[in-house]
Amino acid sequence: MKEQARKLKIGGEKLTMIAAIIVVFIIFSALNHNFFTWTNIVNILVAGSLVGLVAIGHTYLIIAAQNDLSPGAVVAFTGVLAALLSSAGLPFGLVCLITVICGSIIGVFNAFMVNQIKLDPFIATLVTQSVIRGFAYIICDGKPVSITDPTYLLIGKLRIFGVPLSVWIMIILIVVFGLILAKTTFGRNIYAIGGNKDAARLAGLNPKKIILSSFILMGILCSIGGIIFSSRMNSGQPAANVNLEFDAITAVILGGVSFMGGVGGMGGTILGIILIQSFNTGLTMVNVPSFWQYVARGALLLFALTTDYIRKQKREKELLEASMKNA
Amino acid sequence: MQEVLEFKGISKYFPGVKALDDVSFKAYGGEVLAFLGENGAGKSTLLKILNGDYQPTSGEYIINGEQKHFSSPHEAIEDGISVIYQERQILLELTVAENIYLGRMPAKRFGVIDTKKANADAKRIIEDFGLPIRPDTKVKDMSIAYQQMVEIMKAYSRENLKVICFDEPTASLSDAEIEALFKVIRKLRSEGKIIIYVSHRMNEIQEIADKVAIFKDGKYVDTVDARETPEAQMIKMMVGRDLGDIYKELDRNTSIGEPLLEVQGVSSDYVKENSFVLHRGEVLGFSGLVGAGRTELMRAIIGADKLKSGEIYLEGKRIENHSPHEAQKNGIVLVPEDRKLQGILANLSVAENINISMLDANSNKFGIMNSKKEAEVAKKGIADFNIKTPSPSKKIVELSGGNQQKCIVARWISTNPKVLIMDEPTKGIDVGAKAEFYQMICDFAKQGMGVILISSEMPEVMGLSDRIVVMRGKKIVGETSREEATEDKLLSMGMLGR
Repeated sequence: MKEQARKLKIGGEKLTMIAAIIVVFIIFSALNHNFFTWTNIVNILVAGSLVGLVAIGHTYLIIAAQNDLSPGAVVAFTGVLAALLSSAGLPFGLVCLITVICGSIIGVFNAFMVNQIKLDPFIATLVTQSVIRGFAYIICDGKPVSITDPTYLLIGKLRIFGVPLSVWIMIILIVVFGLILAKTTFGRNIYAIGGNKDAARLAGLNPKKIILSSFILMGILCSIGGIIFSSRMNSGQPAANVNLEFDAITAVILGGVSFMGGVGGMGGTILGIILIQSFNTGLTMVNVPSFWQYVARGALLLFALTTDYIRKQKREKELLEASMKNA
Repeated sequence: MQEVLEFKGISKYFPGVKALDDVSFKAYGGEVLAFLGENGAGKSTLLKILNGDYQPTSGEYIINGEQKHFSSPHEAIEDGISVIYQERQILLELTVAENIYLGRMPAKRFGVIDTKKANADAKRIIEDFGLPIRPDTKVKDMSIAYQQMVEIMKAYSRENLKVICFDEPTASLSDAEIEALFKVIRKLRSEGKIIIYVSHRMNEIQEIADKVAIFKDGKYVDTVDARETPEAQMIKMMVGRDLGDIYKELDRNTSIGEPLLEVQGVSSDYVKENSFVLHRGEVLGFSGLVGAGRTELMRAIIGADKLKSGEIYLEGKRIENHSPHEAQKNGIVLVPEDRKLQGILANLSVAENINISMLDANSNKFGIMNSKKEAEVAKKGIADFNIKTPSPSKKIVELSGGNQQKCIVARWISTNPKVLIMDEPTKGIDVGAKAEFYQMICDFAKQGMGVILISSEMPEVMGLSDRIVVMRGKKIVGETSREEATEDKLLSMGMLGR
């Protein structure tokens, strides 16, 4: 009985999210009749696919009590890099390989700062954000790099069952990494070190290795995002995707991952991505000026963090009550 | 008018622990009231409630007929209630006078601090206490004992001091220093203050206390006269039964085998040149004062701290542990001292906690976990160690402290270790669960494991160990068999090194 009650309660949190998504849809549909159309939903998904990729990485990192502020810059950098390599005449497969390797090296760098120099992940990845954004401009001299390779361009155009390839890639990766998080030792390690790094180390886990793997995963996801995004734009854009991490973090926290680490899952992240992307798209469609959109996004993140705090308080209260019963 | 402090129905709950359960009693001015009870009996929690560090879950405290509520230690101090902790709460870089008047230094015009006046005022108090120290000495240049005196003077310097509590004040003091402390306590008593004295040392309690309030498992048992009540009776009230019997009833391992673990000249940043041998089927006790380096030596052995020099042999073969993970693979595991910070994974379930060190064994080569195997390991652990949990999927923090600790032991035993190191395994655990742990430790030895037991509770380390090693100041200073061990001998080795 008790177990059931608990599961229902978790369902309750997700139901709240679904209700919030429905409310967002109703409001924006009422304000703009084009909002609730197939074309627009596909648009939301396409726009959300990049946030989604990054949010997968943030789900892992934040559950492991880490964070990453560099994805926007890394996506821009890898996009420009891929476009440059492609325009130098490299075949698309090789372009992807090199770009993904570069992405993972950035992940290694982030993990190095966190593991070896013991920097706070926020500060460490703030460094990366600036450095990598700088390199994105440096390697192309600040100018967008056009893509001419038809294979490369196809990635952004191809549709399967009417849904763009980028959306399919996001869906597949979310499912795969959702399963890895829930069903594998790597996933369990993530929860363990996020809950209590010292205890996990003494229990024979290797927190540094797990943190390294998570940052590499984020680097790879960002470079995949960079390739897809540049293909969609027909060019590598060094100035693009500022604040991408902001949306991804908001989505993950909205989805129930705790900023304190150790709690949450991929299911919630999916709902978080849908919510934040329909919110963002809706704001544009009802002509909210872009300056005010920043304010609205900040408000949404504040809302997510407040919810996180309230959930934490509730968990602690429930624990106290449960243990009072057992004591 | 005599000062009166009354506790009325005080309860305090933490997740997994009922730290205080409906505690009611009174303390009077001009008396030294000792708190006696085992670790985890609730003494320190009660002090923390009194000084506003914790808020009681229910109940109230009343001082001189006035109900009080302190939401922070600051408020309690303002109201004349001070607690002197084992760990110093003073600022080492400041002078004696600056510490005494911290936050309320006398000031001249424009808020300029009047150091002269502070020093003169402090000097008066120092003379009052009859101490050979100067008000302008930096506290870091003084011995621990004098640092403690500064804290007491800081409390005393408040005009309205009513209650002064000492939490294990003699833990790191020499005999002469203890005598000086007692002189000060007697002075405070003669001035009619309410004095609460928390200690584990019976002889001290009999010397300094007038009355003894006895606690057991978070409950207040009774207050007895300190001098007229026989020690044995107090201990019985405190543990609920004769602990001596528990040790006698243990089913011990009688066949100790060949050397299992040999540690030679192990040094780390925290310990120097330590060597000892642990045999198969042996329980090896580690005694010594807090901070003697026992935990740190074990951390060096399992690779949690970096080994600077020295060699470790397991079953005659040289091994190197660069991390707890490697130590576990070699068959050496540690149940850490701080269950909450180093043991449990609070966000995970009982089953997940038991399995966390078995992830590789319970998964296929792609890392996909076998939930059936996991359930079996958890089920076996719960059954073997009699873990009381409504279900394996319960969050571990919902269990009582003793059951949480059993989960950690189950975690390690499921990896089939050869050497099991237990650091203060019964800290904060009630007596019933303690007896279970003691038999468990004997059972591990019977199964041929070598068990290292670090414990600060003398009866525990003497009652369980086949041999006892004593550490002092980062080094092993001596060794004794169970038969030859006495509390005095261990204490003198631990404090004086001989």
